[in-house]
Amino acid sequence: MSSTAKARGGRVGLAVFLAIAVFPASGGLLYALLYSLGGVGLLSRGWTLQAWIRVLTGSEFWRSLLFSSTVAAEVVLISVALGLSLALSLGERLQRTLGTLLHVPLTVPNVVAAFLTFQLLAGAGLMSRVAVRVGAIPDTARFPSLVQEPWGIGIVLAHVLLATPFLVLLFAALARSERVSAFVELASTLGANHTQTLRRVVLPLLLRQALPSLVLLFIAILGSYDIPLLLGVQSPQMLSVLVVRKNGIYDLAQKPEAYSVAILYSVFTLLLLLRVIPLQGRRREAS
Amino acid sequence: MTAFLEVEELSKSFGSEPVLDRLSFFVRPKDTLSILGRSGSGKTTLLKVIAGLLSADCGRIRLSGQDLQDRPPQQRRTVYLTQETLLFPHLDVEENVAFGLRLRRRPEKEIWVVVQTLLESLELADHRRKMPQQLSGGQRQRVAFGRALAVKPALLLLDEPFSSLDAETRASMQQLFQRIAREQGMTALFVTHSLKEALLMGDAIALLHGGRLKTYASEREFIEDPQSGVGAEVSFWRSIEGAQE
Amino acid sequence: MKRAERHRAPATTLVALFAVLPIVYLALLSVTRTGAPPRVLPAEWRLDAWRFLLSGRGEMLRSLWVSLALSAAVALSSAPLGFVAARYVAFHRHRRLLLFFAYMPFVLSPVILGTCMLFFYIRAGLSGSLAGVFLAQTVFTFGFSIVFFLSFWNREKLDLEDLVATLGGTRPQFYRLVLLPISRDALRTGMFQIFLLSWFQYGLTILIGEGGVRTLPVLVYAHVAEANPLFAAAAGMLLVLPPLALLAMTRRPPLGSL
Repeated sequence: MSSTAKARGGRVGLAVFLAIAVFPASGGLLYALLYSLGGVGLLSRGWTLQAWIRVLTGSEFWRSLLFSSTVAAEVVLISVALGLSLALSLGERLQRTLGTLLHVPLTVPNVVAAFLTFQLLAGAGLMSRVAVRVGAIPDTARFPSLVQEPWGIGIVLAHVLLATPFLVLLFAALARSERVSAFVELASTLGANHTQTLRRVVLPLLLRQALPSLVLLFIAILGSYDIPLLLGVQSPQMLSVLVVRKNGIYDLAQKPEAYSVAILYSVFTLLLLLRVIPLQGRRREAS
Repeated sequence: MTAFLEVEELSKSFGSEPVLDRLSFFVRPKDTLSILGRSGSGKTTLLKVIAGLLSADCGRIRLSGQDLQDRPPQQRRTVYLTQETLLFPHLDVEENVAFGLRLRRRPEKEIWVVVQTLLESLELADHRRKMPQQLSGGQRQRVAFGRALAVKPALLLLDEPFSSLDAETRASMQQLFQRIAREQGMTALFVTHSLKEALLMGDAIALLHGGRLKTYASEREFIEDPQSGVGAEVSFWRSIEGAQE
Repeated sequence: MKRAERHRAPATTLVALFAVLPIVYLALLSVTRTGAPPRVLPAEWRLDAWRFLLSGRGEMLRSLWVSLALSAAVALSSAPLGFVAARYVAFHRHRRLLLFFAYMPFVLSPVILGTCMLFFYIRAGLSGSLAGVFLAQTVFTFGFSIVFFLSFWNREKLDLEDLVATLGGTRPQFYRLVLLPISRDALRTGMFQIFLLSWFQYGLTILIGEGGVRTLPVLVYAHVAEANPLFAAAAGMLLVLPPLALLAMTRRPPLGSL
C-alpha cells in the first residue's frame, strides 16, 4: 500500500534528521558535560565538580553572561526602534528601488562589518579624524575609543548596522501581509487618532508577528563571535569568545571550565528557544 | 440489476473516535449515489477509504466484483475530487487534464484527441493555455473534473465539489456534471451537505449520520424520513407562504 | 497622513545613503592608503591589493576558490538533505519537539557548539581539513535548512501526492513530474541562503579548520591582524561582490544571514 511507501520516505527523513541534526549537536553537548565533570578528557582525574564550582563562584562567567545579554538586548531595542520607524515612515516606497537598496547591507558579512566599524571608530579612525578636523578635540589621541572598550559600543553598533536593514524589510513585509493599512483605516473609522492607531493597532500587530524573529535575533547576538573578537576587550568578554579562549589556551586546566560555560550558555539559549517554538506555531496558524 | 460498488461492514476510527461504524451500501452501475451529511459526519473519511488514501480498520470494498482493500490507490481506478480544487500549479489547463494520460505514457496523438474532446465538452477550449492561478472557481473545478475523466475511472468520488462556488456557477456545474455522467456512463458517489443538491444529483440517496449510513429505497422514503430534514425545510417554506397570505 | 509625507523625502535619501555607504567605504579602503592622523581624506591611491589579486600570486585568489567550492558544496548537500528531513518534521505528531532539535545546531553559537564537537573531529582526523570544515558547516546549516523548508511542506503537498496516486501515478512519477517542478524555486532560494551562511562563516571555519582552511573571511581577519587594511578591504570586497552581483541580477534577493 501507499502507506508503506510513505513510511519508507519517512524513514529516510528520520535517518537524515537524526544523523545530521540530533546526534552531532546532542553528542557534542553530552561530551562537553562529561568533560566539564572530569569524566572524559586527556587530563581526566576522575569525576569532580571543581570546574563548575570555579565557573559558578567566580565572576568571569557571570560578567560575560551579563555583558552578552546586555549587548544583545541593546542591539534588539535600538534596531527595532530604527527598523519600525523607518518601515512605517517609508511605507510603500520600500516596495520600489529603496527596498532593493536595503538588501545591499545584507550582503555584508560579520567580519567585514567588524572591520569597517574598527576603521570608523578606532582611536585613529575616521570619526576621530573628523572630530579633530571640525575642532571638537585637539588631536586623535584625545578621542574616546569606541572599539575595544569595556562597554561594547563598537560591538553594538556593528550589530545594529547589520540588523536594522533586515528589520526594516521584515516590518515592511509584515505590514503588508498583516494588512496593517486596512486595520489603520478601520481604527480611524472607529474614532482612533494618529497616536492611538499607532499604539493600539500598528505596534501590537507588527511586534506580535515579529516576536519570534526578534527572539532569534537576540539569541544570534548573544552567541556572536566574529564581531566581538575584533571589537571587544579581554574582560568582559562575550560568551563565544570566552569559551573559545578558555578552550584554546595552553593552560589545560581551563578546558573543563570552557565546557561548563558552553553548557550553561546552551541551557540558557535552549530555554529561550523553547519559548520561541510555540510562538512560531501560532504565527503559522494565524497566517 | 447487480451492484457495481459494494461496501460491507466498513469501519474506521481515529484513536478511540469511531468515524465510520460498520457501514454497508451498494451503488448500481452508471448510477450516482448522493450522500448527505453534515460537516464532521465522516463523509471525507468514507471517500478517502474507498480511494485507498486511508486504510479501513475492517470491512470490504468491492468494485465490479473485485476486492479493493489490498490495492494501492494507483490500481483502484477511482478518482477523488475535492471542494478545494487541487490543480498542479506548474501545469497549464491542457497539461493538467492530460496529466493522468502522461503517467500512463499514452501515445501523443491519443492524448491530444482525448484532451481536446474533454476541453470542448467542458467548455474550456478557450482557456487551454491558462495557468491555474488565472482561472475562476468554476473553471478550476471543470479542469479538475476533466483531469479525472481523462483517465476513464471506474468510479468517481466527489467530495462537495461545488460547495465553494456561487449559486449560478453551481447550478450550471450541476447540469454539466449530469450531462457528462450520462454521456460517459459514470458511476459516482456524490457527497454534499445540501439537501437540494443531494436530491438533484443522485439516482439514489443516502444519509450519513453518526458513522452509520442509511440508504433509501425511494425519494419518497427519503422525504418522509424526519432525519433527512426535508420535512423541516418544507414546513419552513410553507410557513413563509402562509405568512404572506 | 500629511505629516508623514513631509518626513519622507529626507528619510528616503538618508536610508539610501545608509544602505550603500558601508560598501562604498569598503571599496575605498581597498584602493587607498590612509594618511597619518588627523588627515581625513585618503593619502594616496593604492591598487596593490587588486593588482596582486589579479596577478594570481599570493593566496587571495586561492581563498576565493576555496570559499566558492566549500560554500557550493555545503549548499548542495545541506539544502536537499534539509528538504527531505523537513518533510519528516512537518507532518510528525511531535512536530514541536523535532523542531526544537532542528533549531539546536542553528541557534547555538557555531563556535561554542563547534568547541563541544571538536573532539570528534580530531578523533576522526578531520580537524584542520577542508572535509572537516565542510562537515561542520553542513551540520550548522542543516538546522536552518529544515526550518527554511518547513513552510514548503503544507497540507497541499500531501493532497497533491494523494491526487497523483488516485490518477494512477507511482511515487517516482510524483517526484519527477510534480514535486521537482513545484519545489524548484524554494530549493533554489534555500540553496542560495545556505550558500551565504557558509560564505560568511568565520568562527566555525577557523575552529574546525584550525586556521589551515583559508576561506575569504579567514583571510580578511588575517589581514586585519597584520594591520593591513588595504588587503583586508580587498578580501572583504571579494566576499561582498558575489552576493551583490546576484542582488543586481535578481532584484528580488533572498535575505542573507542574521
